[in-house]
Amino acid sequence: MARSKEELIAAMGNAVLEMEDEEAAALAEEYVEAGYDAMEGLTEGLAKGMNRAGELYEEKEYFIPELLLCSDAFYGAVDVLRPHIQKKTDSGEQMTAVIGVVEGDTHDIGKNILKIMLETEGFDVYDLGKDVPTQNFIDAAREHNADFIGMSTLMTTTMIKMSEIIQELKNNGLRDRVVVMVGGGPISEAYADKIGADGYEPDAASAARRARELVLAHRS
Amino acid sequence: MSRKTKDEMTPKQRAAAIANGEEVDRMPCNPNVANGVARVYGCKISEFNTSAKTLAEAQIAGYRRFGYDSVRVFTDLFPWAEAMGAEVTMPEDDTVDLKTPAIKDPADYKKIHPLNPYKDGRLPVHLDAMKYLIDGVGDEVGISAAIVGPFTNACFLLGVENVLRFCYKNPEAVHHLCQVSLESLIAYADAAIDIGLGPTISEPMSSCTVISPKIFREFSAPYLKQLVDHFKSRDRGVVMHICGQTADIWEDIADMGVAGFSIDNVASIEECKKKIGNKTKILGNVNPGTTMYMGTPAEVRMATLQCIKEGYDSPKGFMPMSGCSLPVETPFENIDMMMDTVRELGYPVDPEKLDRMMKETEAELEKEKA
Ligand code: B12
Repeated sequence: MARSKEELIAAMGNAVLEMEDEEAAALAEEYVEAGYDAMEGLTEGLAKGMNRAGELYEEKEYFIPELLLCSDAFYGAVDVLRPHIQKKTDSGEQMTAVIGVVEGDTHDIGKNILKIMLETEGFDVYDLGKDVPTQNFIDAAREHNADFIGMSTLMTTTMIKMSEIIQELKNNGLRDRVVVMVGGGPISEAYADKIGADGYEPDAASAARRARELVLAHRS
Repeated sequence: MSRKTKDEMTPKQRAAAIANGEEVDRMPCNPNVANGVARVYGCKISEFNTSAKTLAEAQIAGYRRFGYDSVRVFTDLFPWAEAMGAEVTMPEDDTVDLKTPAIKDPADYKKIHPLNPYKDGRLPVHLDAMKYLIDGVGDEVGISAAIVGPFTNACFLLGVENVLRFCYKNPEAVHHLCQVSLESLIAYADAAIDIGLGPTISEPMSSCTVISPKIFREFSAPYLKQLVDHFKSRDRGVVMHICGQTADIWEDIADMGVAGFSIDNVASIEECKKKIGNKTKILGNVNPGTTMYMGTPAEVRMATLQCIKEGYDSPKGFMPMSGCSLPVETPFENIDMMMDTVRELGYPVDPEKLDRMMKETEAELEKEKA
C-alpha cells in the first residue's frame, strides 16, 4: 500500500535523524515515485530531520560522529530529490554563503558542521576549506556575489585574521553587501561587535538560523 | 615585585623532597612551552624536523630560561602517523600539520603497518634528541617523551572524519587502526623509556567536545588502558592530557591508573578535584590562548593563583600548568610571571598568603583597567 505524503515526509526526517542513510535514500525514491512535491520533501522532511539532529547536538545528546552520519543520510536523500525540484523562477529566496577557517588554523570540524546546517537552511554554500588566506575570502565573496560570509577559528592566535578580513571587505567596497558572522571556540558576541561583524553564535544550528534571518533582514 | 631568576632547588630535588613530605622552595609548575622554545634558542621551528641536537638544545634553553619543572620532547601531534605513511606540511617556522592521512582509500585500512621508531619519519631525530637531553639536563629535571593516544593516531591514519564515521559504519576498521597504533606507540615509547624518559599521552580526539563518552569507552579507552598498563609494567607512571571538555570521562581515566591528568581550561579543576582528586594528580589549566598568549602578566598571575586555589589541596596532588601547549609566540614575560607566582607563593601552600596574593593581584588588575 502506498504511503501518504505526510507519512513519507515524517519517515524521511526520522531516517536522517536516526543516521539511516540507505533508508533515507530509499524513502526519497519512494516519495519521488509517488509523485509528491520534491521541494516539500526536502524542506519539511529531510531538513527538519537535520535540524533536529542539530538540536540534539546542542543538547549534547549527539556528538560529531552522529552529526556527520545524519548529514550523510541527509545529502544522500537530497541527491535523490534534487533532479525533481522545480527551479524557482524568481531567485528571491536564493541565498549564497562563503565560509572558511581563517589562515593559520586547520581545525575544520566545526566549519564542516556549519556548512551542513547552512545548507539545511537553504543556502548555497561555497566552502573555502581551512587555513584560508584573507584574499581568498574577498575574491570568493566578489565572484559568487555572496550574501553571507562565515569565518571560523578555534585558536586565539588566529582570531586577528577575522578583523583583517572585515577590514579588507571594507577596503574593497564589499562590506555593506554581505552579512558577516564569526564563530569558533575563542570567539564571543563581544569580539564580534568589536571587530564589526554582524553576528556570532555558539553553535552551528543556531548560527545557520541566525544567518538566514540576518540575510533576509539585510535584503529588505 | 621582585623577580627571582633562580630557584633554590632543581626540579628533581624538589620532586623528591615533596614525595618525602618535606618543605621545598615552591610547588612544581609547567607553563607547557612547546615549540616556543625555538624563540628562546633562536632557531626556526623546522630545524626540529631534522636536527636532534637543535631540538635538544632548544629544549634546554627553554628550561634554563624559565626554570619550569618538566622538559618534554614534543613537536606536534603527527610524527607517529607520519612514520606510518601520512604526509605532513612542514612550515619553515611554524608547527607541523597533517596534510594527508596515511590511508588514501578507506578500504585499504588493513595495509597499515606498525612503525619502526629507529627508522621511520622524524622518530629517529626525536630519539636522538632524547639522548642529548638526558646527557645535558637529565640529572636535574624530569624529561618526558610525548605520544598521542591510539584513537587520535588512528584519526590521522584514516582522516579525522572518516574515523568518526567508521565508529558506526565500520567499527572493525577503527579497532584495527587503534590496535596497530597501540603497537606503534608502545614501540616508540619503549625506545624512549630505554633512553631514560617517561611517557606522556595526549589524546585530543577523545575529548567530549568531539566524541560521546559511549564512543570513547568503545573505541578509545580500551587501547589507552593497555597503553597505561604497559607503562606500569615498565615502572613508569604516565600523565595524560585530553583537550576540551572531559568531565564525563574523568572517572574512566582515573580508573586506568594514570599518575596524573591534565585538563583543558574549559574544564573545571574544582570539579575535577571532587570527582577524581583522590585517585590521581590533577594538572592545569591556565588558558593558553586568552590568558597566556593575549593576557597581561597580572592576568597570568591571577589565573595561576586561581588554579592553585582550586587545586592545591587535591588529595593526590596538583600542579599548575597551562590548559594545553602554549602558542609559539606567547610573551616571555607571561611565562616568567607564571613561574614567579609559584616562586613567591612557596610550598606547602599557605592559604592565607594565597588569598593575600589574590587580593593584591585583583587590585593591580583594577588599576590596569582604569
Ligand atoms: C579536535 C581538536 C583538534 C584536532 C582538529 C581536527 C580537525 N580536523 O579539525 C587536532 C587534534 C588535529 C587538533 C590540532 C591542534 N590543536 Co586542537 N583542538 C581540538 C579540540 C579538542 C576540539 C575542537 C573541535 O573540533 N570541536 C568541535 C567543533 C564542532 O566545535 P567548534 O569548532 O567550536 O564549532 C562549533 C561552534 O563553535 C560553531 N562554529 C564554528 N565555526 C563557526 C563559524 C561561524 C561563523 C559561526 C557563527 C559559528 C561557528 O559551530 C560549531 C558546531 O556547533 C579543541 C579543544 C577545545 N577546547 O575546543 C582543541 C583546541 C582548539 N586545539 C588547540 C591547539 C593549540 C591545537 C594545535 C596547535 C596543537 C598542536 N600543538 O599541534 C593543533 C593546531 C594545528 C593548527 N595550526 O590548526 C587549542 C587552541 C588554543 C588556542 N591557541 O587558542 C584548543 C582550544 C585546545 C586547548 N585548550 O588549548 N586539535
